[in-house]
Amino acid sequence: MIDTVQRSASRLPVVVAVGMTPFAAHHADKNARDLTTDAVLACMQDAGLENLNQVEHGITSYESDHFNRQMTMGAILHDQVGMIPKPNLRVEGGGATGALALRTARAYLLSGMCDSVLVYGCELNGRSVSSQTANQLFALSADVDWEVMLGGTYTGFYAAMMRAHMEQYGTKAEQFAHVAVRNRRNAARNPLAQKPLELTIDEVLNSRMIADPYRLLDCSLLSDGAAAILLSTRDWAEAHSERFAQRPPIHFSASGCGTDTMRLGDRFPNITNFAAKKYAAEKAYEQLGITEPKRAIDLAECYDSYSGAELQSMEDLGFAKRGQGGPAIAAGEFDADGILPVNPSGGLLGRGAPVGATGIAQAIEICLQLWGEAGERQVYGAQRGLTDTHAGIGSICVVNVWEQRD
Amino acid sequence: MLYGKSIKTLIDHERNRLPEEHPWSDFIEQITVSFALQQEYRHSLGRYSRFFCELANGRFFATRCPKCDRVYAPPRTLCLDCQSIPDWVELSGKGTVKTFSVLHFNAGIGADVKSIHGPIFLVYVLLDGGHTLFPHLLRCAAERLAIGLRVKPQYVSGPVSHPLHLMYFVPEDEVL
Ligand SMILES: [Zn+2]
Repeated sequence: MIDTVQRSASRLPVVVAVGMTPFAAHHADKNARDLTTDAVLACMQDAGLENLNQVEHGITSYESDHFNRQMTMGAILHDQVGMIPKPNLRVEGGGATGALALRTARAYLLSGMCDSVLVYGCELNGRSVSSQTANQLFALSADVDWEVMLGGTYTGFYAAMMRAHMEQYGTKAEQFAHVAVRNRRNAARNPLAQKPLELTIDEVLNSRMIADPYRLLDCSLLSDGAAAILLSTRDWAEAHSERFAQRPPIHFSASGCGTDTMRLGDRFPNITNFAAKKYAAEKAYEQLGITEPKRAIDLAECYDSYSGAELQSMEDLGFAKRGQGGPAIAAGEFDADGILPVNPSGGLLGRGAPVGATGIAQAIEICLQLWGEAGERQVYGAQRGLTDTHAGIGSICVVNVWEQRD
Repeated sequence: MLYGKSIKTLIDHERNRLPEEHPWSDFIEQITVSFALQQEYRHSLGRYSRFFCELANGRFFATRCPKCDRVYAPPRTLCLDCQSIPDWVELSGKGTVKTFSVLHFNAGIGADVKSIHGPIFLVYVLLDGGHTLFPHLLRCAAERLAIGLRVKPQYVSGPVSHPLHLMYFVPEDEVL
């Protein structure tokens, strides 16, 4: 019943303000506390708040104690930004961490436990460790008893999943290469993006093979960065942020979450797609009475950890029929000028992915678009946006929907 | 790295050029330190252990739910569908490749994988009598790797550093 909670309009969370740092392979001059500070200061500035004294709760979003070389970062970052003695919760859900943190904040607000929550996420996945160490640390998030010992890493698991999709539906490498090209091109219009690139499909198809069928340019980035969103009830926002009244209000109007087995093989025969994502999306759509998501959603930020994962997600989110993600992508349906722009920010492929900040950055992109503040990459007339975030190969999926309405 | 009186400080030149009124203009030094951790675990394979003991005997075991008859390989120790406690059941270990990936990098966790040179064939096998896919490595000529390939286990007497490597798959028709 979590997803169908009776919500009175007055408690439905609104977005007060957002802030984030640039995403980069390395911020040599900043550690996790510095990056979080910068994101939170940017969020305060966006809200027009002089301090955080009136904010009632903090939620810290980060995935890895290992990458940060520090445990209890939830409390430490809360301390760093000066939110003590207010309550804090650290949320972890693999790749879905940021979206899960926002979903948790939404539940806190709907429940009436508090009227305002600052959600801030940070991760140092960049060059503070060697790529060998990074591989090993990421491998620990796979099944160490059964898969990691085989040399398996997520790139391999995603690749095996895509191979099954290609076998079953005839999906082609050039179709998912389109995602690798488009998202990096979109990133060129995002000043905070890590790796904007102008590429051709052929360049993607000729890049180094990493785990067949995925090549180097099909893979997303390892990043350092932080992001923050201040959520509250509408009453709190109107009472505390002058800025809130100056922009069209954005409601965090629906959230769905689904889970699946961590090992791909345990899902047999359903190994081509993210069943948990379909489940999460259906829950979110149900809350809004959406029956035709492709028409009902104006833009989406999707979890393109690998180019093909976006293709599979288009099907699971109901933006393409099962098995038709490839042709829909190749036809440009999800390009910046398509029917349903996907990853206008550049996505994980182009904007970057510091895990704990990733899901929050996706939501920030949707907010900027709904406020009409997305600059060169503005999707005109956007009123309803969706974020799609997942952990592992879809073991936890979170679909959040944001709407601009009075 | 050791640090003393003449500590090596990098000056962030970008920031050095910040106007004095910039909020962070007073923070231009930057030091990076190295930090190494060595972690060694004594990790129990718990209720999975029998699978590995039997591999050492050249036998392949899975678990089967007594209620819904679902056969799990790798063994699950609680039925995914009905929370029943499963029984051990022996399989031939033969099966069919349902999907795969060729890994062109070696993530190198564990000595058994580190010692493999060249691409790694990660295959997901539907075992005869099983209902899930069992992931393992296939050793064969690259041109033979395909979805639908029939495979059988090749047991290894060791020594290996992780008991999962007491086997690997080879094509069923390969005579060794
Ligand atoms: Zn059962």
